[in-house]
Amino acid sequence: MKKRGRGMACMWYPIGFTVAANPSAATVKVNTDGTATLLTGTVETGQGALTVLAQIAAETLGLATDDVHVVSGDTDVTPMDTGAIASRTTYVTGNAIVRAAEKARDILFEAAAPLLNVKPEQLEVRDRRIQVLGFPARSIAIDKVVHHSETVLGNPAIGSASYNPPTVDMDPETGQGKPFNTYVYATQIADVEVDDETGEVEILKIVAVHDCGTPINPMLVEGQIQGGISMGVGFALQEEILFEEGRQINPNLTNYIMPTSLDMPEIEVGLVDNYDPTGPFGAKGAGEPTAVPTAACIMNAIYDAVGVRITALPATAERVLAAINEKRAEDQAVAA
Amino acid sequence: MLVELTVNGESRSANVPPETTLLKMLREHLDLTGAKLGCDVGDCGTCTVIVDGVSVNSCLMLAGRADGCDVTTIEGLATADELHPLQQKFEEHGALQCGFCGPGMLISAKNLLDNNPDPSVFEVRDALAGNLCRCTGYTKIIEAVIEAGEMMGQEQANV
Repeated sequence: MKKRGRGMACMWYPIGFTVAANPSAATVKVNTDGTATLLTGTVETGQGALTVLAQIAAETLGLATDDVHVVSGDTDVTPMDTGAIASRTTYVTGNAIVRAAEKARDILFEAAAPLLNVKPEQLEVRDRRIQVLGFPARSIAIDKVVHHSETVLGNPAIGSASYNPPTVDMDPETGQGKPFNTYVYATQIADVEVDDETGEVEILKIVAVHDCGTPINPMLVEGQIQGGISMGVGFALQEEILFEEGRQINPNLTNYIMPTSLDMPEIEVGLVDNYDPTGPFGAKGAGEPTAVPTAACIMNAIYDAVGVRITALPATAERVLAAINEKRAEDQAVAA
Repeated sequence: MLVELTVNGESRSANVPPETTLLKMLREHLDLTGAKLGCDVGDCGTCTVIVDGVSVNSCLMLAGRADGCDVTTIEGLATADELHPLQQKFEEHGALQCGFCGPGMLISAKNLLDNNPDPSVFEVRDALAGNLCRCTGYTKIIEAVIEAGEMMGQEQANV
């Protein structure tokens, strides 16, 4: 008989790593055609990091994302970055980019202020223009300010900066410290159907609600969460590296089973826009944490459905059925 | 052996050793490197091409068996002027992340829509089941295929 169950799991996860330093550096320059160039040592692996980083630079400079040309991952020319690891790119590299872009922007404010008869701190950037705070009519196009700053004032608009999240070492007496500068949180809920005659588990739906700070690009965050859940589903039910005498015996996709489009349930994603004042425009991160609670919520749903705790992953039909049979035997023993 | 194909509407031929797979012929003899070599045993689907209206793993098909056939690869989807509706919708949805599954995924989706212009979500999942994706969880891919079907249906209605 197929039995339904619902399970929930919550998690927290740190952004960036700890113990060693964790810096990112960035250089931003604004060009005389009103575009900007961003140099970053991090790399794109498909998660959309360079889009998010370009958005961060664009927002700081009052430009459109398409105006930002990103040069990345080339050690000949790009500044040092710890890398696209530890769910740190948006937060750590993003913070370096905000600081670098602000330095370039401050040079433009210095140049524009006398032209607009205000102080530099009375200026803001918006829609490719530098304007007096709250007065869009009193403004100059950014490309003109860049040109003026370069050719008249001799001060090209360029900024370099780095960011290394502040941490506090562990106190050997109390064990207290501050290993990470920020954390993300999430809850995922799975609805499953378990066949108590075969042990087969089908995931019907997963709802995932994540606090990753203010999402810079909600579509890309959704993509990260959906992808992380597919890894979690594989971890929960399918994927297992099998060894025999120290050698992996399933080093191929024929025997190492990962989720296909037919294995993936409907996924509903919710984003909790929890502004983090230490992040770039309130953002934290959304890489690894997306996969963290998935297997746990599926295992809780299996327990809700058939009353067995699966403690070794993946929860294959064989393992789930063995647990169900064990429970039945125990129940009968108690009854007798 | 001489193998002659119609690839993306163009007559192409090459002299290949008889053990050459269709994928190897496309990539190494015809310089069409869109279809990818992934697992090389028909599990991952990134080598998918359409041969006479059927989507196949080109890593498993000998080039000689495709002699005289009509082959569509990922290079045949976009024109010089615009992307195929599937490519447009994949782009809009951010449906690909690392992109390695993309050429096969798009070709499987095209073959589905060629045969079934208005598929259900289950039919899309079924058609893409031979194309593995490690990044996306398939969600945005499925949304993009459904929307591309709708877009192509509307274009058809407007003609």
